[in-house]
Amino acid sequence: MIASLARPGSSPLHRLAAAPKLAGLAITATALFFVDDPRLLATAFALGLTVARSTGAHFAEIGRDLAGAAMALAVLGLADWLLVDGATALAVVLRLGAIALLAHAVTMTTTTAELFEVLERLFGPAERLGLIDAGRAALTLTLAIRFVPLIVEEAQAIREAQAARGLDGSVLALAVPLLVRVIVRSEAVADAIDARGFPPERAATAPPRPPAIRPEIEADTP
Amino acid sequence: MSDTNPERAGGATGVDPRALAQTIVFSGVTVVRDGRTALDRVSIGFEEARIGIVGLNGSGKSTLLKCIIGLVKPSAGSVSVDGRDAVGEARAIRRATGFLFQDPDNQIVFPVVGEDLGFGLKNHGYSRAETADRVEAALTRLAIRHLASRRIHELSGGEKQLVALAGVLALAPKTVLFDEPTAHLDLKNRNRLRDVLQALPEQAIVVSHDLELVADFPRVVMIEAGRIVRDGPADEVLDHYREANR
Ligand SMILES: Nc1ncnc2c1ncn2[C@@H]1O[C@H](COP(=O)(O)OP(=O)(O)OP(=O)(O)O)[C@@H](O)[C@H]1O
Ligand SMILES: [Mg+2]
Repeated sequence: MIASLARPGSSPLHRLAAAPKLAGLAITATALFFVDDPRLLATAFALGLTVARSTGAHFAEIGRDLAGAAMALAVLGLADWLLVDGATALAVVLRLGAIALLAHAVTMTTTTAELFEVLERLFGPAERLGLIDAGRAALTLTLAIRFVPLIVEEAQAIREAQAARGLDGSVLALAVPLLVRVIVRSEAVADAIDARGFPPERAATAPPRPPAIRPEIEADTP
Repeated sequence: MSDTNPERAGGATGVDPRALAQTIVFSGVTVVRDGRTALDRVSIGFEEARIGIVGLNGSGKSTLLKCIIGLVKPSAGSVSVDGRDAVGEARAIRRATGFLFQDPDNQIVFPVVGEDLGFGLKNHGYSRAETADRVEAALTRLAIRHLASRRIHELSGGEKQLVALAGVLALAPKTVLFDEPTAHLDLKNRNRLRDVLQALPEQAIVVSHDLELVADFPRVVMIEAGRIVRDGPADEVLDHYREANR
């Protein structure tokens, strides 16, 4: 789901602030774990579909985005069916399916920048207790979202290079160079984040007025 | 050598880079990293609008740039930018001095272009409204407004580098430090970056293995094993550099 980030739109969910959306998702997801009635769960699932569809995403898109989750859910359902019984399997699938659909709707309509701000506020109390630095914690999660596709790409590149050398299949041959690359990259990223002025200055110190934005450089679109 | 085409380069911005240039002074700077001397008693001043830095791999070019914004702290000596100490007043310096890294992927924090440009602005305390204006202006300036809502991992290397540069320019810096900005770019994108660079009203210090990029600079500095070994007009220094590394 991480790769399927917010898409622009003007649906009611798009207009809703990030905090109530996330709170709603958290509360609904928790509540669903106390529901066992298959009719109620089926209603929740249908509701999940409606909400996911209300963001303007087509069923095909939703299906594509949630294909991985659906597969995991199918395995889980099958296991429950074999090990417990059909009713339990149905309940598990409907419950988790509804949550996945709602989560999809939130993901589709919430930008990472909005998420960042909610996380910062969420971590605020822990910061006041001296436990963590809210800004840093939020940044860490944002970076995770940003870098997952990159790390996947790097893993693929390494796997191809190893395969060319006949080393395919070795977990170590993948893990060691990947770890090295991630460490090297994380040092470079840390430098770049510092260079970009993180952590933010406290609101009290207003920035000086920089010179006016200069005229546009002539368009030279490739 | 440099096919300066003022029209294509947008040279008509009418801003004299010297108006923005900061004075950067290294006084006896030595940097030891992991027991190795990366910079060796470097004393030099930069105040020109365009300065090129060349040298072999590991000679200390990136270290030199990083010292300017306090990312690397000298083991001895000091660096100042317009009179501010690079270590003690790093934040103020970073507001006026942008840094473009070789790999834009390391510099871009948010997964969507527009959001990422907002990151630096937010760090420096800009309001929401002003952030939106500046993001828009920076994208327009580099003619990449159409990328605003694109996802970073879907962009080409050249587009990413321009996005990273837009993130730097959004803060209206006086100086931009470029660390091998064209290393990951194809010829077309490299030429585009060269044009952008030529038109940039900001002071630019450019580290590059792409010698043509700095070939028309009034001043180029050559580093060898952490020491400044040549300092002068581009043609002179580049000739020597090519000669020395045949
Ligand atoms: N993060 C680091 N930790 C320890 N030593 C480092 C680090 N980065 C660079 N060095 C060392 O500092 C010296 C100068 O490196 P620097 O990166 O400044 O060179 P450079 O001129 O930028 O090289 P290149 O052209 O390869 O980018 C080298 O000996 C290098 O091994
Ligand atoms: Mg370097």
